[in-house]
Amino acid sequence: MEEKAAADILLFSAWAEALVRNDPGTLKKLYALHFPTVKQYVQRNSGTVEDARDMFQEAITVLWLKAKDGTLQQNTEPGAFLFRVSKNKWLDRVRSAAQRTMTVVPVEHTGAPDDVEAVDLEERIQRLKQVCDRMDGQCRTVLGRFYFQREDMATIAAAMGVTEDSIRTIKYRCMMKLRAFRKHIADGENGMEA
Amino acid sequence: MSKGALAQVRFEAIEAYLLGSMPAADCVRFEQELNTDAELRAEVDLQRENMLAVEMGGMQQTLRSIMAQNEERSSSGWGHYLKYAAAVTVLLIGALWWFSRTPLNERLYAEYHQTDPGLPVPMSTTRNPEFQDAMVAYKLGHYAEATDQWSSLLKNSPGNDTLNYYIASAQLAEGNTTAAIPLFKDVAGNTASVFHAKAKWYLFLLFLQEGHYAEMRALGMEQDSTYGERAGRIMEQIGK
Repeated sequence: MEEKAAADILLFSAWAEALVRNDPGTLKKLYALHFPTVKQYVQRNSGTVEDARDMFQEAITVLWLKAKDGTLQQNTEPGAFLFRVSKNKWLDRVRSAAQRTMTVVPVEHTGAPDDVEAVDLEERIQRLKQVCDRMDGQCRTVLGRFYFQREDMATIAAAMGVTEDSIRTIKYRCMMKLRAFRKHIADGENGMEA
Repeated sequence: MSKGALAQVRFEAIEAYLLGSMPAADCVRFEQELNTDAELRAEVDLQRENMLAVEMGGMQQTLRSIMAQNEERSSSGWGHYLKYAAAVTVLLIGALWWFSRTPLNERLYAEYHQTDPGLPVPMSTTRNPEFQDAMVAYKLGHYAEATDQWSSLLKNSPGNDTLNYYIASAQLAEGNTTAAIPLFKDVAGNTASVFHAKAKWYLFLLFLQEGHYAEMRALGMEQDSTYGERAGRIMEQIGK
């Protein structure tokens, strides 16, 4: 069983596909397996556990988005990728003006693509976050259950004690609020209350 | 992207297209329209990004929940260092008391015992997903959850050495030696098992902890190629 398990680690398609379908078990495994290394690196370089969590969350977001876009290389090893992105993000933060006196231990790493911190990807993540932050509680619940958890409308309606038609309407209105917000961004304006 | 409103029926058509739930014939027509209608293409791109934003929010929230379940929040500044200083002081005092009060066999047990780290967990969920989920729980220190899941699997594979060994390891990590010992004995008695030597080693340590020296000796652990040297040192120290 041990040898078979080790062989499964190499199955790129399985974990990448699980990420694409937002499988919580895969997130849990990625965290259990790879966060300790990131935490150790950040703590060795003047950071806290909270800093390590921030870096890891940003790295997971990059990995997740690239999986969604289908732009992950077939030989991507998730541990190396997450460590590389977390490390680079932490180095960026350490190099910022407030933390110039910190000692950074250089470490060699392989296996992660070179473009993981491409500016356009970062900007896109920030835009997505802006949109996400505009949702109020009801929109977050309905849209999250439908698009993230992939629940059908009957299930959502039953859980919320309303009709399917109500959920359909709420979903439409919420998405139109996000659309309007994006139009404001496109027009160079700010502000939209979800 | 249109500056005006987007009708609900149009929104739902785009949504069905993006979610892959649009009927094939409608999909062909929709894609033909996409090829010629730049405004529709912009609308589809916008809706795809908004759906992605919702998913990203859900993913990050899920990750935060996982983190909250498994990590204590750390503090910063002087409080951080004082907390560690206090912890070190308590540990030193505890160690002094422990060395002066604790019997030799229990000290040796604590010195040599290390919880089994578990097996590597694959990212694939296609093979033994229940076993792997339990292994993740075990690695996170959720031993009761791991025990429950593996015990459930054991009903379909009675006598499975891997399950017996890891259930025993989880029980031991929980401090439940009474439940761990018979399971380790079962695996230690199976010379074909890859866990045979490890199970014997944990039995040896458990007998040491309980002061059952005759049973320790009966295991013949000093002859083991992996654990023999450590076992010999322990036997020498306890003078048995």
